[in-house]
Amino acid sequence: MEPPTDADPDASAARIEVDHSALAASIAGFAGPNGDYYARAFRRIHDSSGMLPATFNVWAAVLGPFWAAARGVWGMFWAFLILEVVAWVQIGRGSWGNPGAAFLERALAQRARAQAFHDRAAAARAAGADATQFETLARNIGSAADRSLAVARDAQSGAFAILLTGLALLLLVKLVQGLYANPVYERQYTNWRIAPTSVESGRKPVNAALGAVLVALVAPLTVYRFTVSGAADALSAFPEKRISSALFADPGATLFSKTAARLDAGIDAAALAWAGFFDGITHGINTILVALTVALNGTPWPVVMLVICVTAWRAAGPRVAVFTAAALAYIALFGYWQVAMETVALVGAAALICVLLGVPLGVWLGTSRRAAALAEPVLDLMQTLPAFVYLIPIIAFFGTGNPPGILATIVFGMPPVIRLTALGIQGVPETIKEAATAFGASRFRLLKDVELPLALPSIMTGVNQTILMCLSMVVIISLIGGGGLGKVILESLQYAAKGQGILGGLAILFCAMILDRIVQGAFRRKGA
Amino acid sequence: MSEPIVKLSNVWKVFGAKAREAMQAIRGEGIGKAEALRRFGCVVGVRDVSLEVPRGEIFCIMGLSGSGKSTLIRHVNRLISPTSGTIEILGRDIAALNERELRGLRAGHIGMVFQHMALMPHRSVRDNVAYPLEIQNVSKSRRWAVSDHVLGLVDLKGYEDRLPRELSGGMQQRVGIARALASDPEILLMDEPFSALDPLIRLQLQDQFKALAVSLKKTTLFITHDLDEAIRIGDRIAIMKDGVLVQVGTPEDIVMNPADDYVRAFIKGISRLKLVKAHSIMQPLSRFGGVADGLPRADGGVDLDRLIDLQVGSDQTVIVTEGGRDVGFVSKSQLLRGIQGGEHGGGEHGQGGEHGQGGRDGQGRGHGTPDRRRPGCVRCPDRG
Repeated sequence: MEPPTDADPDASAARIEVDHSALAASIAGFAGPNGDYYARAFRRIHDSSGMLPATFNVWAAVLGPFWAAARGVWGMFWAFLILEVVAWVQIGRGSWGNPGAAFLERALAQRARAQAFHDRAAAARAAGADATQFETLARNIGSAADRSLAVARDAQSGAFAILLTGLALLLLVKLVQGLYANPVYERQYTNWRIAPTSVESGRKPVNAALGAVLVALVAPLTVYRFTVSGAADALSAFPEKRISSALFADPGATLFSKTAARLDAGIDAAALAWAGFFDGITHGINTILVALTVALNGTPWPVVMLVICVTAWRAAGPRVAVFTAAALAYIALFGYWQVAMETVALVGAAALICVLLGVPLGVWLGTSRRAAALAEPVLDLMQTLPAFVYLIPIIAFFGTGNPPGILATIVFGMPPVIRLTALGIQGVPETIKEAATAFGASRFRLLKDVELPLALPSIMTGVNQTILMCLSMVVIISLIGGGGLGKVILESLQYAAKGQGILGGLAILFCAMILDRIVQGAFRRKGA
Repeated sequence: MSEPIVKLSNVWKVFGAKAREAMQAIRGEGIGKAEALRRFGCVVGVRDVSLEVPRGEIFCIMGLSGSGKSTLIRHVNRLISPTSGTIEILGRDIAALNERELRGLRAGHIGMVFQHMALMPHRSVRDNVAYPLEIQNVSKSRRWAVSDHVLGLVDLKGYEDRLPRELSGGMQQRVGIARALASDPEILLMDEPFSALDPLIRLQLQDQFKALAVSLKKTTLFITHDLDEAIRIGDRIAIMKDGVLVQVGTPEDIVMNPADDYVRAFIKGISRLKLVKAHSIMQPLSRFGGVADGLPRADGGVDLDRLIDLQVGSDQTVIVTEGGRDVGFVSKSQLLRGIQGGEHGGGEHGQGGEHGQGGRDGQGRGHGTPDRRRPGCVRCPDRG
């Protein structure tokens, strides 16, 4: 910036004139009808330096949500619609409602029963029998009725107070509306200047009509439901049974039962028709699982322990190796060796399949924007759908046992490695890819020489995440017959065996920590 | 001169989903840039550019950001394909090449250097330099030998096994240059290679690069936004604005005869001492009233810097010779005006032109084509 020149020595921020006319024209253009009023109001807001400028929009106060809707200030519309409805509910309860109705009813019923006992007592006396029992009962019930009546009277006398509260609340809401309407509308004007096409401006009949319809739907029903005691049942609970009976001739059938039955039939038919396909998947998974189980449980335990410790040492250094040895000692000493290795085989098989499928999928999603847009909701579904929901169809298609458990684990565990691979591929700088292309690299070479190496940190983070998420599924898959440590936890849950549960849980924790430390350490060494 | 190495004919590049329709409208109805954006949502990056670069020439394309110079240079190795027009490299139309042939051309015949180096961070300096050879499936021993050799050319011996991030910016860019030289290509594409470096390193690399390109006889397209750099490096300079080549010529041409006000604004701060030659500012010998004998003499190709030395020493008018024959003279006032140039005192260039160049300024300004180019004026690569 140039410093002030000699010709203009007193140029300072305080002396700069504000061009009100251009601003006023812009505001009038934004506001449409009543533009002059808003130009003046906004000018007062713009000139003020306090928190709440002294402007009061009478029409906004009187019309409330209708004003907000017509002006397209939808946030304000909902806020003040709710506040006004609360106020109107209080007013309704105070003026037409019957607050003590329930107690009054009870009192009358109790009176009737007391009278009945009096009658029986009288009858007993007439018969010469002992009437004290009936008299005591009648007395007790009578006093209870008096108490109910007192409560009902109190409630009825409170009606006036409720009415007053409602009126005060309404007045307050209107006051706040009038005060805040212009500042909020000014905020909308500022946003409109940035995005004139997407921010609402002016006063639109369509908006006003929409607002009126919303108010008409929300306010009267709500006020009615809270004001009138014993309002129609249809408003308290959704009348799904009535709709179902209107739809179907069969009185027992509901929309729910019919759809569920149809889904059952569909799944059963698919499981039958594609039995060979599903068996093939089961068989493939089982092959990997058996191979891993043989390697971990078939090999003598000292060999396996030694290999794990040495791997930890080579990959992640001596500290992790010491920790690994201690954790393995815990697992072995408490008799979890066999099941722990079974768990590692389960998790290993699942993680292996996740990585084998997930990395290529991630590369694809990282390069194709359209594929990414399509896959995003599926990945979200895989991660957020509770495991129990897909356990049921998995049982239908694949039966029970370890392979279906691994499948369920894959569903839950695969998204991180896909997501992080795609993220890593997308993060490779364009310039480096361009350079490789300029030197004649083919698409495949680009992937092999540039994209995968540069995305490797992200991919490895994804692999680590996937392993840990697979491990977190071991307890859940024991519900459908999966073995390993998950089964130990499930048993202790069933028999409320606290000690067994804690010891088994620690074993799972140590498995997770060993896997995590080795994978992370290996990656960190490579990255350094 | 032999066949041009790089030849662009009527190249247009229109960006956008409806580029083809927009191109048709530009052709048929002659719509402009703003109209193309409004009607088709298309941006015109390069507009009807034709140029030829002969073997061994360093051709600078100068323009500000958004002028389309980086887009233009990417047409040469078809990182970007033109919307219309043809591009011939080494006599072959590259639009006709298939994927495989194109990769072969890029790997074997065109080297490229990028503004942000674009080295692969996970590979050693040596493997970065060897990458173009690796793509051509050259054996590892050969790759390493070649890359060590070119690293020697850019003074980076001893850094072969470092990773790029261990090197300074200037050194990284030298690795970039070595990589571009590795497969001994005929053509070098330099996309603002020194823009991201600090001024001192930039100057050093400019000299180093110029010497290297001349000694290796590389045909070079050099993109820059800095006219000083273009003048220092280029045999010829093209000035680009809004996708159009505004003026193409030798550095002296451009400084002496700016095609329009846009170019004139650029050359304002340029030092003319090493650029302007005696024959550009001399008066014809016929106007000389005095006796030419005994006066200092200088060849027409001598620059102003040297003329100053001559006049400071003798305080006399200098006689300009062409091939040993006297053709003109430069008096002290002419020399001073020549140093000052057509533009002095900010906006009074018309006046300055009249005084300094005797009305020739008007000629250069009126017509876009410089007509005062003399044979001795063209810079030849062998002059270094």
